[in-house]
Amino acid sequence: MSSDKAICFEKVSKVFSKGHTQYGTIRDDLMSFFSKKQKIGLLKKNQFFAIKNLSFSVQKGESVGLYGPNGSGKSTLLKLVANVIAPTYGYIRIKGRIAPLIELGAGFHPDLNGIENIYMNGTILGMTIGEIKSKLDQIVEYSGLSDFISTPVKKYSSGMNLRLGFSIAIHSDADIFLIDEILAVGDEEFKKKSFNSIKKLLYDKKTLLIVSHDIDLLSSITDKIVRLKNGISD
Amino acid sequence: MINRLSNHRDLFFVFVWRELLIRYKQTFIGVLWALIQPLCMMALFVIVFGHVLNINTNGYPRSLFYFAGLVPWTLFSASVNASINSLTDHRDLITKIYFPRELIIFSRISVFVTDFFISIMLFSGMLFFFDIPFSLTSLWAIPLFILLVLLTASVCLLFATINVYYRDMRLASGFLLQAWFFASPVFYSIDTVSLKMKLLLFLNPLTYIIENFRRVLIEERGIVPWQFAIEASFVMVLFIISYKFFIRCERSFADVI
Repeated sequence: MSSDKAICFEKVSKVFSKGHTQYGTIRDDLMSFFSKKQKIGLLKKNQFFAIKNLSFSVQKGESVGLYGPNGSGKSTLLKLVANVIAPTYGYIRIKGRIAPLIELGAGFHPDLNGIENIYMNGTILGMTIGEIKSKLDQIVEYSGLSDFISTPVKKYSSGMNLRLGFSIAIHSDADIFLIDEILAVGDEEFKKKSFNSIKKLLYDKKTLLIVSHDIDLLSSITDKIVRLKNGISD
Repeated sequence: MINRLSNHRDLFFVFVWRELLIRYKQTFIGVLWALIQPLCMMALFVIVFGHVLNINTNGYPRSLFYFAGLVPWTLFSASVNASINSLTDHRDLITKIYFPRELIIFSRISVFVTDFFISIMLFSGMLFFFDIPFSLTSLWAIPLFILLVLLTASVCLLFATINVYYRDMRLASGFLLQAWFFASPVFYSIDTVSLKMKLLLFLNPLTYIIENFRRVLIEERGIVPWQFAIEASFVMVLFIISYKFFIRCERSFADVI
């Protein structure tokens, strides 16, 4: 493997179950706990492939768009890159710190105020406490929430949540940014601002993985586009 | 295992700080709760187990005797109780971004470790009040405390993991903790039971810790080294197994939570 690959997928598959638990019975769960991997190609009842035998790689500093209809596995792919879920088969190699801009603000604690949540989210994104301290003013200013930064986040509107979440992520100094439909939300002004920030990430030679339904937008900011359909790359 | 934690030191600090912060948010008397809670429990014990049931306390003041048992028990039971739901409470975080998930559990436990220290300060005041002299034997409380924390962490890791897959754990935990309470020498002393019963009770690793905690702090009795060695190795092995089990299961948390 060459060293300048930021993301590398090798024959990755992800199997999901439609039921409540992964496999159903305690016996099955115990068996799957002790056997390392399920046999390839054997799908149990209620299981399906969210990603099937997908191989691709992203060079460092490259920006790649993911395009495909709902249910084609785009979000699953982002979660695999973010190491939130593990592949059922195949291997994933990631080089660099990841900042997922997925469901921004989902990790905020409702009883904590803006500043406290900046520290929370910032450290989760891999920043040190010192780093956050030095960037705190920038983060607050970018979010445009200076007047409400000492208010508990439970009183924020969804737009305010989003702005704060985006601001933290964009200041996190990660190497790889995962962006899921981020440009479709927020008001006109913030949309423009976030679009400019993403362009700046491109300029700074960060690695970007962008999911969108807007093919024009994708082709304008990405170097290449991976088209997904039913978990398979076209 | 140590690598995982040292790489995320700052995150752990922030998690602990957050747990302490939200604990007393929107409360009126705030941190005073950490003092009031154990004192109320102690008063309850003195009334019920002391005056109503008249349980033998080896001739030591009842309040002191019960408090010495309650302090380690509370660290254990409150941590387990708060940890079982801790992973499922953080569903939003777990399905969104990666970080070592045990930090959630360890930070919950740290809150009750803080409470433990506040109680110990209170306890020192009581020792002074009852004129019980400090002796070097009391320092055995430190290794006992470490064992207690490791045991607590193991049980929390196991229960919280199981609860991700089977929510039965949450429902079973109420009864389980109650049974565990009666099987631990919190309101009685192991000295008064028969040998057969003693052996049975020592199957519970908490029995050793609570009983000796009380012995070294108020009875000035030392620790039997070989017993300590057995207990310590048992707790150590349990901790390593639980942690390995946790890491093995962690990969699929986001799939099932």
